[in-house]
Amino acid sequence: MSTMKKVPEADVMTDNKSGVAPESKIEKTRSKSGHERRVNTAVYVVLIVMSVVWLTPFVFLVCQSFRSFLNEGGGMVPYVIPQKGFSLDNYKALFIKGFTAKKYLVNDLTLQEFFDTLDGDETLARDNAEAAALLRSAAEGRDPAKDTISSVMSAVQKDESVGQDKRDAASAFMRTVFSAARNQRFENDFRQDFNGRFIPWWTKTFVIGACFSLAVVALCILLKRLNENSDQLYRFRLLIMLGILIAAYLCYVLTIKQQMGYAPAAAGDYVQLGIIFLLFALFSLLAVNSFLKREGKLLQQIPGYPPETAWDKIKKAPVLFLEFLAMFVVMTCALIPTENSDYVGWYGNTLTIALFTAVIQTVIVLSVSYALSRLRFKGRKLIMNVVLVLGLFPGFLSMITLYFLLKSLGMTGPGAVPGLILIYCASSGMGYYISKGFFDTIPKSLDESARIDGATRFQVFLKIIMPLAKPIVIYTVLMAFMGPWGDYVFASYVAFGNVPTYNVAVGLYQWVNVADYQGYFTLFCAGGVLVAVPITALFLALQKYYVEGVTGGAVKG
Amino acid sequence: MASVTLEHVKKVYDNKVTAVHDFNLEIKDKEFVVFVGPSGCGKSTTLRMIAGLEDISGGTLKIGDRVVNDVEPKDRDIAMVFQNYALYPHITVYENMAFSLRLRHMSNEEVHKRVCQAAEILGITEYLGRKPKALSGGQRQRVAIGRAIVRDPAVFLMDEPLSNLDAKLRNQMRAEIILLRKRVDTTFIYVNHDQTEAMTLGDRIVIMKDGYIQQVGTPQEVFDTPVNLFVAGFIGSPQMNFLKAKLIKGADGYSVSLLGASIPLNRDQNEALAGKKIGSQDIILGVRPEHTTVLFGQNTNAIECTINVNEMMGSELHLHLTSQNQDRIIVRLPTVDLTAEQRANLNYGSKLYITFPAKVMHLFDPESEKNLIWG
Amino acid sequence: MTDLDYLKLSKPKKLLYRMGAFFKAIPKKTGHFFANLGKKILRFFKGIGAWFAEVFSTFRDGDWKTRLSYLIMGFGSIARGQWGRGVLFLLFQTVFNVYMFFPDASKSGCFYLAKLSTLGTVETQKINRRTVYGDNSFFILLYGVLTLFFIAAFIYTWYQNIRQNRISEQILKSGHKLKTTKEDVTSLMDEQFHKTLLALPTLGVTVFTILPIIFMILVAFTNFDATHQPPGKLFTWVGWDNFRQLLSTDTESYGGTFRQVLLWTLIWAFFATFLNYFLGMMVAIMINKKGIKLKKVWRTILVMTIAIPQFVSLLYVSKMFAQDGLINAYLMKWGWIQSPIPFWTDPMWARFTVILINVWIGIPYLMLIATGILMNIPADLYESARIDGANAFQMYQKITLPYMLFVTGPYLLTSFTGNINNFNVIFLLSGGKPLSMELSGNAGYTDLLITWLYKMTVNDTNYKLAAVIGILVFVVLAVINLITYNLIPSVKNEEDFQ
Repeated sequence: MSTMKKVPEADVMTDNKSGVAPESKIEKTRSKSGHERRVNTAVYVVLIVMSVVWLTPFVFLVCQSFRSFLNEGGGMVPYVIPQKGFSLDNYKALFIKGFTAKKYLVNDLTLQEFFDTLDGDETLARDNAEAAALLRSAAEGRDPAKDTISSVMSAVQKDESVGQDKRDAASAFMRTVFSAARNQRFENDFRQDFNGRFIPWWTKTFVIGACFSLAVVALCILLKRLNENSDQLYRFRLLIMLGILIAAYLCYVLTIKQQMGYAPAAAGDYVQLGIIFLLFALFSLLAVNSFLKREGKLLQQIPGYPPETAWDKIKKAPVLFLEFLAMFVVMTCALIPTENSDYVGWYGNTLTIALFTAVIQTVIVLSVSYALSRLRFKGRKLIMNVVLVLGLFPGFLSMITLYFLLKSLGMTGPGAVPGLILIYCASSGMGYYISKGFFDTIPKSLDESARIDGATRFQVFLKIIMPLAKPIVIYTVLMAFMGPWGDYVFASYVAFGNVPTYNVAVGLYQWVNVADYQGYFTLFCAGGVLVAVPITALFLALQKYYVEGVTGGAVKG
Repeated sequence: MASVTLEHVKKVYDNKVTAVHDFNLEIKDKEFVVFVGPSGCGKSTTLRMIAGLEDISGGTLKIGDRVVNDVEPKDRDIAMVFQNYALYPHITVYENMAFSLRLRHMSNEEVHKRVCQAAEILGITEYLGRKPKALSGGQRQRVAIGRAIVRDPAVFLMDEPLSNLDAKLRNQMRAEIILLRKRVDTTFIYVNHDQTEAMTLGDRIVIMKDGYIQQVGTPQEVFDTPVNLFVAGFIGSPQMNFLKAKLIKGADGYSVSLLGASIPLNRDQNEALAGKKIGSQDIILGVRPEHTTVLFGQNTNAIECTINVNEMMGSELHLHLTSQNQDRIIVRLPTVDLTAEQRANLNYGSKLYITFPAKVMHLFDPESEKNLIWG
Repeated sequence: MTDLDYLKLSKPKKLLYRMGAFFKAIPKKTGHFFANLGKKILRFFKGIGAWFAEVFSTFRDGDWKTRLSYLIMGFGSIARGQWGRGVLFLLFQTVFNVYMFFPDASKSGCFYLAKLSTLGTVETQKINRRTVYGDNSFFILLYGVLTLFFIAAFIYTWYQNIRQNRISEQILKSGHKLKTTKEDVTSLMDEQFHKTLLALPTLGVTVFTILPIIFMILVAFTNFDATHQPPGKLFTWVGWDNFRQLLSTDTESYGGTFRQVLLWTLIWAFFATFLNYFLGMMVAIMINKKGIKLKKVWRTILVMTIAIPQFVSLLYVSKMFAQDGLINAYLMKWGWIQSPIPFWTDPMWARFTVILINVWIGIPYLMLIATGILMNIPADLYESARIDGANAFQMYQKITLPYMLFVTGPYLLTSFTGNINNFNVIFLLSGGKPLSMELSGNAGYTDLLITWLYKMTVNDTNYKLAAVIGILVFVVLAVINLITYNLIPSVKNEEDFQ
């Protein structure tokens, strides 16, 4: 076997039997441009078809998310073709505390509700005055808070004194009112929740932060084409950033709140936000300052080195963007309480888990891969072999043991969030392959040189390898961050039955597969869109690093 | 400012391969020593053991009077220049040079002073603000050296520092290293596989092969009196010619007979051989190309050869000759002395005669490959 | 046969020759394997012997500090001034003793260890309407294994403690100084940095991966299932019964289902790997073709399926293909079909559909990987091929494909094993459906071993069979890995790329 090792390569190099006869070559050259064009057209056709296939589900997903769950006829047939008509009901529903679709889809109303709706809508009352009068008379003497309109209706139906056509008209009229009443009830709940609990001050930060992060990510994508080093770009970025900040601030304080028809912005709102932004500015300034202090100061003393201006300092700080992003997200996750609607709670849980996992897992993975790539010690090969063997066992095998281990630590059910972080991080050291492969490509002489220069191995790790491994650090963070968003199995098992500690995957899966007959499908679509948009934006922005990691990993194993 | 002493130093790898056998050497303070040898001879391993990057399997290593076998590289007071420079790509040249000083918690002013000074010496002041990526090969080399000299180390280690440069730059840097050495007067250990570089740079040369020291000496010594076939072949360019010959012990002393010619040895050689009680035997005769004399006419005691290749080098010709028994001989022929007619005759297939005096002959035992006189 | 003879052969013959060589080598390799195994076992016993000899000789030759350390761990270190190490040793010993001999006897390590052979004998009973809890087999097994781990760790630490003493004695004898605690701590950032880096990950993997795996392997030999659930009921050791049940040859019970699921798992993995591989490569070649514009746009569109979390995209797509889903609705609206296509209810349709949708998910990965590799193929290979007279297809066949296969050999292997364990796609798309009366254990026609394992664990709480399935998955993967490691050259070479 050993002599044959190199054979596949040899095949490539030596096998030249199938040369093309010279005649056909000439002919080919002649028709080349036409041929080439035809081939390209074919390729374009294939690519366009593929693009359509690839995007169609997402387009439909978005379409369906804008179709009100209230209009789904009770949601009995949930997966139908999206119709025309646009509504934000699904998105609103995600933010209503204690939301259950049943509450709004029930086919009965109390008399009180019924007539309130009727009175609230003049056109409705006027157009169906006769039917309304009929129902009113039939309802007389009943208890408006307890009796339902259905019982009144059945009484009307039985009443022989009224003509059949009138009874039918009343029945049709009642269905219209039902629909209007449901909408009314939904709208009321939404307003109440939005006004009452939904907007404590930290949630404002969340809304603005999310918008802001998205804007920044979008911007980064947009600006990628411009020359990275040009002053113009930095100035532009800075301006845009400031603009977004101010816009977001004013937008919330002045517009959103008032547009909703609630109390105008109070002085407290300004103060709250002001403090947050101040903290940010301070934090960023400190970080940037320490980042630049040493280099800038010393370089100025070097003869021939151009003196550094304040502008030079600022333009060296793309860190600023990341800081803003990170700060917003951290604050959000730290402050999201369980008092919210289920969906917001799930979202917060997932975000918390993802952030902690991203940080801890990255540290662990990088530590392990650095140790295995760079340090030589007894048992190194053993560790690698053990990990190889362990990797062949299916992960779910250990699920119930993990569950009981976590349970004994009090990290299941209500404590599922820290429990899941622990699970995701504890064994993450086993996924060292890709980053180890990357470390292996960094020349060893850099380590050696640094060690001769007087660095300890820890300093080598921190000061030499880490800065050079930036792409793989980003890749690791990205993967660790995205992982928890899609995990259903462990999340559902650990949080079993405890709705507030679900993550988005578990929550939405339950909506589709357990409760779908109640019309949660469009809600799932809306919830999915809200999850997918930031994750996708993040992914596309950092696509480069992902590709680097994936291809490196595939080639090296 | 320290001597380096290696006593019975040995390197055995985990897979039981011995890279360096019983290495004994004393490097004096402020000496420039060059380790030279073909790749895989253990020269780099030895250097890395001195640097502390490889564990020492046996023996003792002293820097100054201190045994440093188990001392971490950072505490050995050494600096090293790597073959691929090993500049930290993510920080500026300035920070590269300041790196080791900062780790030693030197004050900013001191760091700045030293970096600027070193940059001045090497003429890289204007590049201090750049990152290594933006430098040319020669500039990177300078930075790598600068990073070592800011430390003011006791021992300066260089691992094939010029092998990544093109020929012209290499010559230039070689001269600069000689100048540098005059300015930073400290102990240098230089590893290299190119004998020319070794000859021009070193106070002493250590020639190694397969983990063993072959010979230690000044450039002149190793050139004039190679102790064995390997050293003889390794030092000098073009390579020394090796011819099968016979050593004959006659009544009036020893003589060498080859290809019909017989060349009596001189008095020193006779004495040395007689002292070693060597009789008649087969030998390998070594003669440097520059020591042969070319005769254009027939001569009784000369060797008849046929020209195979004629390489024109400008100032001289390198002729590749074939003799009767197919030995290949290279001779150097300065062009100034040649007449136009002679030059016209140096074609493929034409015959000429070569001879050489006894004092340029090196006699090697074919079995042990040792020099019969100095070995 | 010499290399030159080999090169003369035609392609199929070459393949035949290599296969032949592989099979011919099997007896020899097996022989080597057992010879090595024998040597290893011998070395193992010799090692144990040497270990005892060392422990003994250290005691014999050591001073009183060393001897006392045999009883009180870390005593020698403390007495010699290395209090940092000593205290750690002592602390470990204390923790170990407390754990083993906990005052509450039913919670001590010794208790669990003693009960490990029976997994508990005292049943939970109801006496006078009050539940009196007996032994909990689950915890006995779990903590029993944990105790074994702990004991192993203790023996190792104890040995280290003794070895430490011996080394210290030697160092002192040779006139050197011992390391101070401060030096010990600093060395954790330098010479011993690997310990700092690996301590936490190793602990995590031991407790959260190795412990559970060993526990579940042991569960495979018990009757832990829905009818033997602690704390109400006990479970106990049953030997190889569960394996026999799952591997039985009669078609009625789990045996038939297992074979069916295994077969489908392999078919699935084969299609999921190779279909995606070749299609992905073709797409990459198309996008990277010279003269195709908007390369980035095409790539980004395809990458969407990676970017969007799978539970969103797959759940949505699974509903698109439902009986009353979008696809059927449109097809019926346009009048192409009269009745809905049974995407998820007909076994063959369901299998076809999951493979199809997996292509949608999988192509982008391969496209990215192939793009990276395509760019790495040296351009002069193509130029020289063009001068030799090759056309586009021949260049693909003779250069691109072999190069790709060679470079991505290891990836194909990981991808194949990954697909065997591809839980998400099956679970979110079909959930293993359609179910069938012919299959036992709630298995459906698209269930993979891994999803079946999940169902066993979560829905049926049939832990014993889940454990057996897990072990069998391991066996299948190990076999596949071993064979490919021996067959694919680049996989083998990959091991020594460093």
